[in-house]
This record gives sequence, structure tokens and C-alpha cells, in this order.
Amino acid sequence: MNKVMSADDVIAQIPDGATVAIGGSSLSRKPMALVRALARSDRRDLRIIVNVGGPEVDLLLGVGKVAEVIFAFVGFEVMGLAPHFRRARQEGTVKFQEWTEYTVMAGLDATIKRVPFLPTHSMLGTDLLRVNTAFKTFQDPFAGETLVAVPALRPDVALLHVNLADPQGNGVVLGDGHMDALCAKAARKTFLSAEQILLPERLQTYGRDVHIFRTMVTGVVEAPWGAHFTGCAPEYRADLQHVQEYLAAAREGTGWHGYLERYVYVSHQEYVRALGGEHTLGERLRV
Amino acid sequence: MTDYTIDELIITCMSRELRGELLVSSVTAFGSLAAHLARSTHAPDLAVLSTPESGMDAVPLPTLSLGQFLTENQRAIPLTMEDIFDAIFTDRFRIWINPAQIDQYGNVNISVIGPWDKPKVALVGSRGIPEDTSHLSQGLYYLTQHSPRAVVERVDFISGAGYNPERRRTLGAPGAPTCLVTNLGVFGWNPDSGRMVVRSLHPGVSPDAVRQATGFAIEVGAGIPTTEPPTAEQIAIIHAADPLEVRKLELLSGKEAAEKFAVIYERERQALHAAWPRRRQ
Repeated sequence: MNKVMSADDVIAQIPDGATVAIGGSSLSRKPMALVRALARSDRRDLRIIVNVGGPEVDLLLGVGKVAEVIFAFVGFEVMGLAPHFRRARQEGTVKFQEWTEYTVMAGLDATIKRVPFLPTHSMLGTDLLRVNTAFKTFQDPFAGETLVAVPALRPDVALLHVNLADPQGNGVVLGDGHMDALCAKAARKTFLSAEQILLPERLQTYGRDVHIFRTMVTGVVEAPWGAHFTGCAPEYRADLQHVQEYLAAAREGTGWHGYLERYVYVSHQEYVRALGGEHTLGERLRV
Repeated sequence: MTDYTIDELIITCMSRELRGELLVSSVTAFGSLAAHLARSTHAPDLAVLSTPESGMDAVPLPTLSLGQFLTENQRAIPLTMEDIFDAIFTDRFRIWINPAQIDQYGNVNISVIGPWDKPKVALVGSRGIPEDTSHLSQGLYYLTQHSPRAVVERVDFISGAGYNPERRRTLGAPGAPTCLVTNLGVFGWNPDSGRMVVRSLHPGVSPDAVRQATGFAIEVGAGIPTTEPPTAEQIAIIHAADPLEVRKLELLSGKEAAEKFAVIYERERQALHAAWPRRRQ
């Protein structure tokens, strides 16, 4: 089946209030073109699941699309804290659940394995168990040891960005895999954006680099520079100049509307053009 | 005596804690250089990662791109997130963590300043620290600025478990803190009392300086040894591994940091560009 579609076709399949898992990690391989399409849609009350989050969470919070965030981390690494995340946390306007890197993976894995929870020692002795009532401790039925039950996380939708895909929805990841395969397996519907769409016989030559299988994928969008302003190894690195521009706009409030007009309330093609076009981006960011 | 800077001293102290054949993560420039220095000297079997989650046996060039890009001669073995957490759960992993706050019991915080529900400052979230503090037999922390704001009596939020009552009840020893390196000295924990102890003071640092910079009453008795400074060889290894001086960003803030950042960003582009000729069309 040919699953190639537009970013707007993807957004049309995401209802208000949907639980959306977003792949990538930190400033690496976030599906930013799809996230921007979601940000300029009229969707609302989304529940976002991320592992190591950053720009995608901050942008969606900054346009008021989000009712709840499940996260292990939201920030911009050495560049600083996430302005809208910080504001929303401090003002209490959005619901937040702090998880951890492994437990987000375990929650998705529980859904994949069709069990209500998976056990772990993680988080014992920390305040996460105090502030996040999603987790419960229990006694191991064999030896009586105290363990934490990580409840299943069931995304309605997973949004991922991959290096290469074929029209049927197989996806090649050449850099770090992050938790993308878990998102794809756990979500009811998974949508990929890809730097390039190849014929299936060419994609098959990538062997074990095919991390996402078509049996889990509903739609594929071709979006060169679709992870920008995060990086997409080994194609291009994170655009840290743009990160600074984003952070300045998001921190001030006055510059935020202008940022959205210029970079978010436009098509992906216009976005790339606003950044000087593919050639200029390549000169700066291809390694 | 060899001249050295505070980053070189901290990184050298950090490297001394690493030994054996374990995966060592590279989340920060300091952590990545400590791992590289240890492997280049006393711990040749360490499996050093190029990024927080992958690239085993790389020569880690600390980069602003968080190790996502390696030059050709740094090529490394790819790992998955599952590999990393399996290594944590089986205690075959080490990581140097740079917390916002650490307290006398070795609880650490990177989540919030103030109450979690209504933070004064929302930081970033606990990330993978709860996994580390429930499984690893070394709990490794560093601070570039030892101050009463960072070394506190009680952390505002426990992202990582120190010697607290809940640990005693459930976890026991796995994941307990073992070392804190700061710009003033090297610290450890007494497993019986669960309290921080001074292991050594850096050259020129007085007991009073440590007392004043610490947010709780810390005992600095007589006869505390002086930290051994880095050798010329150790300094040379750090310089060669971090020619762009990414490590200096962890010591700077504000305008200075922004200027340094811009310089490194451009030099990193040039370094990577030169190393990847096949991508220049």
C-alpha cells in the first residue's frame, strides 16, 4: 500500500485530546516538520509523551495545544532551559507528569507486551514516587522485595522522523535510535516524516538500519530538513544558531508572535525558504 | 610544578574514579574527558561512549552536537537505548552527573527549585538519574562551582536517591553516592552515617573555604590530604582530546559563555567539515 501523504493529512488523523508520543531525543531527530504542522492546526488538549524532550514540547506548549505532558526531561542541553515549559510548570496552566528515561520506555513496552505494568527498582528513594501517583510500589510475589509498577503508556499516535523511508512505511534510522521503535510499536497509529522516500527495493539494502517496519506505520511524509532545527545524523547537525533565535523569541514573549508567523504558520517549504533555502542550510549544517 | 587550570584538575580527579571494563557515558564535556583520560592512562579497558546513548569505543571529541557526529577516525560501535539501560541495570555503566543541587546525604536534584507542584524555577526533569541511583555501584557527581546554593542541607526535590530512609528500607547499597568532585575538593560518603565526608582538598583550598561554600555543617578535620594535581601528561591528553575547549563552557555564563559558544560552534563546523570530505559536493 502506498502510504505517502502530506503533513496536513497526518494532522487530520489526530483528534483533539489525543495522546501523542514524539520520537527523537534532546536536539536529535525530532519530527519537527510534523510538530510544526500540529502547532499550526486547530488541535487542542493534546497529551504529549516524550522521553528526552526539548523544542517539540516547548513549541506545542507555546501555542497552547497541550493539556498534559509526560516527560523524563525537557530542556535545551547546554543552551538552557525550555522557556514555555518553565513558564507552564511555574504557572501550573498545564498538567505535568515527571517520568524517567527508562520508565517511559517501560510504559510503552508494557503496552506492546499487553501487560498493565512492568516492574523496576528505578525511582525507589526518589521524590518521583511522591509527586507522580501514576506509579505504585508493590511487593514482589516471589521474594517480597519492594518494586515500582510502571503503568502502560498507550499513545494514540506516534510521530517520528527517519533518514529514509519507502512508500509502504519502512523507515531507516542511521544515527542513534532513541525510543522510536518502541513508540511505533506501542501507538495505535504511527506517522513518519523522512528526509527522502526511496523505492522499497532500495530501502531493503539498508538491512538492520531499517528500524521501523511498515506493519506499524499508517503514513509517510517526505520532508527534507524535517528534523530541523534539531539534528538528523549523519545528514545534518542541530542548528544551534536557530536554537538561540528560538529561545530568545520564546523567552521574551514579544518576539514570539513574530517567530510563529515566520517559522510555524507557514508550510514546510516556506520554512526552509525562510531559513535561506536548502543550499544555505546545507552549507551551514551538513558535516 | 606543572601549571593547570581548575577544569583540568576536576577532570583529572573524575578520571581517577573510573576503572575496569565498563561503559562510560559522555553526557557532558567534563564527563567525556574524564572517561577519555582514564582510558588513556590507568583504565585502558573502559568502553567510552561518544554520546549519552551510543557510539561505543569512540575517541570522544566533546562537541556542541552532543557526539551525534564523529569524525571518520572516531568511528564507534552503535548501541541502542535498551543496551544502555541493560548496562545500567547490570551495573556495567558509569556516568558523571552534574546536579543543580546535592545534599549532605548525596540526594541530587535536577528537577525543580522550590516545591514540585509550584516551582520557583522549573529545571529539566530527572532524566535517567533514578535508574542510576537504584542500580550502579558508583554514584559519581561533580560541580564546577561549589557554593551553598548547590551543596545544600536538603535538596528541594530528590531526582536521585542518596542515603535517605527510603533507600535504607528498599534499595540498600545499589546506586548510593560514592564521589563528589568540586572546584574545592574531593568528597565521599560514609555508608554507615550516610553523610558526606571530605576526602581531599585541592591545593590552596583552606578548610574554612569549604565550610563557607557548603550549605550544611561539614567536618573538615586535621590531616585531610591535598588533592594530587594533574601531571603534564594528563593535561596534554585533555588538551588533545578537547581542542575546541568545549569544557570551558561549563565554567562560564552570560556574555562570556555566549561568545565562547559562537567561537566553538564555528570551529566545530570547520573541524567536522574537514573530517567529512565525502559530504562536500
